[in-house]
Amino acid sequence: MSAPATTADAGHHEPSKFHFYIAIAMILSVITGVEVVLVYLPIAKWFVVTALVVLSAVKFMFVIFFFMHLRWDKVFCTILFFIGLVLAGGTMWALLHLFGADAGKPLSAAALDFARLTVG
Amino acid sequence: MSSHAATIDHHHDATTSTGIPNKKLLWWAFLASDCMFFGALISTHLVYRLNPPPGNAIPTQVFNIELTSFSTFILLMSSLLMALAVNAIQKGNIRSTRTMLLGTMFFGCIFLGGQVYEFAHFVAVKKMTLSNSIFGSTFYTLTGTHGTHVAIGVLLLGMMYVRTFKPAHGESGLLRNFAHLAAVCTVMAVSFIWLVPSGIEAIYGAPVGELLSHHAVPFGIGAVALAVVFWFARSGGEVEFGEKNAIDVEAIGLYWHFVDIVWIIIFTAVYLLEYL
Repeated sequence: MSAPATTADAGHHEPSKFHFYIAIAMILSVITGVEVVLVYLPIAKWFVVTALVVLSAVKFMFVIFFFMHLRWDKVFCTILFFIGLVLAGGTMWALLHLFGADAGKPLSAAALDFARLTVG
Repeated sequence: MSSHAATIDHHHDATTSTGIPNKKLLWWAFLASDCMFFGALISTHLVYRLNPPPGNAIPTQVFNIELTSFSTFILLMSSLLMALAVNAIQKGNIRSTRTMLLGTMFFGCIFLGGQVYEFAHFVAVKKMTLSNSIFGSTFYTLTGTHGTHVAIGVLLLGMMYVRTFKPAHGESGLLRNFAHLAAVCTVMAVSFIWLVPSGIEAIYGAPVGELLSHHAVPFGIGAVALAVVFWFARSGGEVEFGEKNAIDVEAIGLYWHFVDIVWIIIFTAVYLLEYL
């Protein structure tokens, strides 16, 4: 591997992110707690599903941009990772729609028995 | 500890054509491909959950959401420790880096121990195996693959921890490094295979004395391995590892945070959505 670049100003380190990371971890913990409580609340299902998806996405973004340093790295790292993420998301979307079609659904027990009898 | 007169830019590398350290670029490319791997596993699980075949297991009767929520919290906290390990090495603080690496590994083992307990409980009590229902097949394949990633992460962190002891002058010896890594791996294996699952069983009411006597041999081996780890960790001379190795720790950190973000998705898609 190539050596990291150095600059001339001697004796200085990057500013500490200790308290910042602690704050991020606390936010992530609170979001996780909210997610668990949400599923037990007697509110509309569509609202809970939307809230869970949004909260998970927020946690996901917090981790990749702050813990994984994408926020401070070159934008190419973000593009590279999001290529994989978009391809994965697209594959999931396609699979869920393909198998959500009527022809993709598994047969019921009665229909399966009937199919076995008629086809042999 | 090695010291450096000049500041190291930990996010950019002017000597590469992309301006990104090659190791970091390689890890990001690998993680992008791993996204697709987990995407396929998660969608397979969801396809069969949305169209459940006859005789499928009922997830809410199988899951223990309290334990899984606790495991999720532990994995998030392990990510915090990993970020602090990278922060410490970027400032050349080897002692703090080692502590944070050990903490990350131990939290990873708590997560894995929770999974060992969960799988054993599902098979023995809930009678859900890998092959007796589609739900079992997709669930164990997905969460088991994620658990394997966590276990590989613990091993990589253990190798990085042992590497921090490499002396600045002369060789530490292959046998010594191997013994050190074997001791670390033994402690971690005993933690997640016996210690943590036994601890969870104790919390759920199993007699502690019976658990201790039942697993006396692995606990004894783990205690000896822990003593060996402490013996190797006693303060020595100057080490080669330092701020210049921050990219190595960060690279392992990227992998560790990735298993965390995959679990964020699995926790919502596989566990929480079942309770609606």
